[in-house]
Amino acid sequence: MAVAPAEFPPPFDPSRHIGAPTDPEDERLEVGVAIVGGGPAGLACAVRLTQLLENEPELAEQLGEVPVAVLEKGKVCGAHNLSGANVRPSALQELFPGEGPEDWPVYQTVEDDAVYLLTKKRALPLVPMPPNFRNHGNYTMSVAKLSRFLAERAEEAGVYLLTETTADKLLVEDRIVRGVRSGDKGRDREGNQLGNFEPGSDLMAKATVLAEGTLGHLTNCALDYYDLHGSQPQRWELGVKEIWEVPKPLTKVIHTMGWPLRKAAKHNEFGGSFIYPMGEDKLCIGMVIGLDYTDATVSCHDILQQFKTHPFVRDLLEGGKRVGWGAKTIPSGGYYAMPKHLAVPGMMIAGDAATMLNVPELKGIHYAMHAGIYAAEAIVESLKADPESVDFSGYEEKVRKSIIEKDMFKSRNMRQPFEKGFFVGGAIASAMTLTQGNFPGGQWDQEDDAEHAMVLGSASQDYPKPDGELTFDKLGSVFLSGNATRDDAPNHVRIQTHVPIEIAQTWVSMCPAQVYEIPEAQLENGAANVDVQVTASNCVQCGAITAKGGRLTMPEGGDGPLYQET
Amino acid sequence: MSEILVYALHDDEGTFNNNSLGAISEASKLAAEIGGEATVLVVGDIDDAACAALGKYGAAKVYRAKSVPEGLAQPIVDAMAKVMTDNDISYALFGGGLLGFEIGAGLTARLNAGVTMEVTAVKADGDKLIAERPVLQDSAIVDVGYVGSPGIIIGRLNAFDVAENGSGDATVEDVEVELSEWSTRATMVTRGETGDEGVANIEDADILVGGGRGLGGKENFELAEQLAASMGGAVAATRAVVDAGWYPYATQIGQTGKTVAPKLYLAVGISGAIQHKVGMMSSENIVAINKDQNAPIFEFCDLGIVGDLHKIMPKLTEAIKAKKG
Repeated sequence: MAVAPAEFPPPFDPSRHIGAPTDPEDERLEVGVAIVGGGPAGLACAVRLTQLLENEPELAEQLGEVPVAVLEKGKVCGAHNLSGANVRPSALQELFPGEGPEDWPVYQTVEDDAVYLLTKKRALPLVPMPPNFRNHGNYTMSVAKLSRFLAERAEEAGVYLLTETTADKLLVEDRIVRGVRSGDKGRDREGNQLGNFEPGSDLMAKATVLAEGTLGHLTNCALDYYDLHGSQPQRWELGVKEIWEVPKPLTKVIHTMGWPLRKAAKHNEFGGSFIYPMGEDKLCIGMVIGLDYTDATVSCHDILQQFKTHPFVRDLLEGGKRVGWGAKTIPSGGYYAMPKHLAVPGMMIAGDAATMLNVPELKGIHYAMHAGIYAAEAIVESLKADPESVDFSGYEEKVRKSIIEKDMFKSRNMRQPFEKGFFVGGAIASAMTLTQGNFPGGQWDQEDDAEHAMVLGSASQDYPKPDGELTFDKLGSVFLSGNATRDDAPNHVRIQTHVPIEIAQTWVSMCPAQVYEIPEAQLENGAANVDVQVTASNCVQCGAITAKGGRLTMPEGGDGPLYQET
Repeated sequence: MSEILVYALHDDEGTFNNNSLGAISEASKLAAEIGGEATVLVVGDIDDAACAALGKYGAAKVYRAKSVPEGLAQPIVDAMAKVMTDNDISYALFGGGLLGFEIGAGLTARLNAGVTMEVTAVKADGDKLIAERPVLQDSAIVDVGYVGSPGIIIGRLNAFDVAENGSGDATVEDVEVELSEWSTRATMVTRGETGDEGVANIEDADILVGGGRGLGGKENFELAEQLAASMGGAVAATRAVVDAGWYPYATQIGQTGKTVAPKLYLAVGISGAIQHKVGMMSSENIVAINKDQNAPIFEFCDLGIVGDLHKIMPKLTEAIKAKKG
């Protein structure tokens, strides 16, 4: 049987997450600008705001005691951030003029890079290298560290960082966004209040910036409420990444395609790996796969484990030790999946939340930061002209005129052809690159990841047994993510819990953190419909479940991973 | 002289806590190495004989503060601060547990001392002590020395083994302690075990039978209980099992549960995920029964049995009973 996850929609009521403030008026917290998400987009926005307000004392005064507040659900800024990442420095240069890589958390400037096509035994270098993979002059960074760095700069400049704080509800009155409500803390699994219960608060803001990153909770609610969905459905890829200490330094940035992903069109396995040096003694290695695959047994976590057993890769890790692990989805819908509008009255959307990610070039961090900077500039321009203004459409204009729009448009159709399989897709995408997207042109359709019918295939047959040295199991990986969420926290994952085995297996295999399990007895007796057990405290909030038929809501602030260097 | 003071916690019946006794044994061993003595603070009305008997664990001297109430941190901070200051004592050593953490932290603030928490071992260096403390999720151990005096060392639960390495009675000296203003603002109403009725305190048990999902169901925990009973031990559980409602949370071992270090840990139906391992890996002997020979637990147990635990456990229980007669 083939059945699509979209047929089993999650029990989720978005109307509970958008609405008027509920706290009595004198108990509401007033801030100037509320930024949801302490990642590159949100923090670049915060830093830029403080820079601009320095020259606008009158406006700063009007914004009150807390001119800029950032809400971050992780324990610290960066705790939930994960990326490649080879970063184009343009946004850092704009935000901190006169500074250079020595002032920023940069491992190195990329001087050499290579792309390989992997077969089961061999690694064939692609010469000439596909131009989209070229990283010369970019900086290898850790986005978890970049966010910590930006948070430090923001705090020095007077930004209020509210870490371990979720934004659970968008405060809207007369269709104007007036701020956000933070999430409750201290409930047990049934939702009862514990001794340390702390209710959320209404945070009223003159401007709200949603910089929630991939699969943003409020962003998704707002896209529905304001009907902002792009002309094509959004889609995602899932990336799993490890940090290794290695005895011999890696000297170049490496990307691979091919094995262990299967090339035939029917599997629809689009993706590849990355291996980047992180200074002399460390490297990161990751696997990314599009979530439109159709084999329910596909597990990105285990494909990465399998990938490490390839002689070419094993050699790079020889004598090394795994020291970090994490997983995250990547919004890969591209230009046509971007929100129709990036600003509505009172609010703007920036960064991954707004799909500002260039899939073929594997770049998004500098777009996120540029977008944050534009949002800051638009807010100051608008409020300076009229302190009561809720019109931030200036932000959208800035983005539309920027490299974000330009780059996204060029690569607008590049992800779609890969549904035709690796080689045909690759040829079309190359033609697109060479012609800057003009050939074949038009708008290529794409499908929601959750609408692909799933079958019980054979991908899992080749996954290696974890040896604890080169290959690992999911629970060991979760441990390394720093996740120590309390066990009786409320379940923040919304799924249907009695579904066909194809759907249940999709979730079990897909989740890199072993959140979903099928009772052994039901697996053994071959039941067509099975129960799905959810261990929500394992969740590292990668977001994949939302892409594939479920819905991730906000856990308690501070829960989830504590990424250090991902 | 480099003396070490240990606070000995007792219950309402006057029985001393195992972690405290472990700390006294450790202090006595360390004191011998740095050329000092192990001293103990006892609060409340404990008779001379019971205090003197702490000599068995190596205590040279017991300070008794009769008027200080047991169980609350601040009065005991008052007592320890006074004893340490009056007698020029260089170190305070705690065996672990929440009260020890609280008193240790308070004492550190009061005496402006250096403190190391979650200590798993202590060693002597000349006439100084060095505390060993695991960091980075227990993946590395750091040595912590003290540049000033006094130094406060707070052990991880069960870090120090109880050893009867002393000879003779300890001398007992009564001390008068004037309680601080804030120390009398709270009074102890009742003391008791938290958690579920009938669940043994797994942190104090010498023998633990840990049950995992491999047991197959709630009802099979009876097998584990019988086996534990035959050896005079207690039953513990993994997160998955507690999650499924098979066994109470108070018995959960691991990253988000309790940390134990019994003399024998018998793991039945436990795969040995790292989240569980960090809660029991300092057990002296680890024995595992699991049907999956690839289970990670076989990589760090001392003795592994691959087989059906439903068959092995009852037979093991019988055999132990028979041997014990």
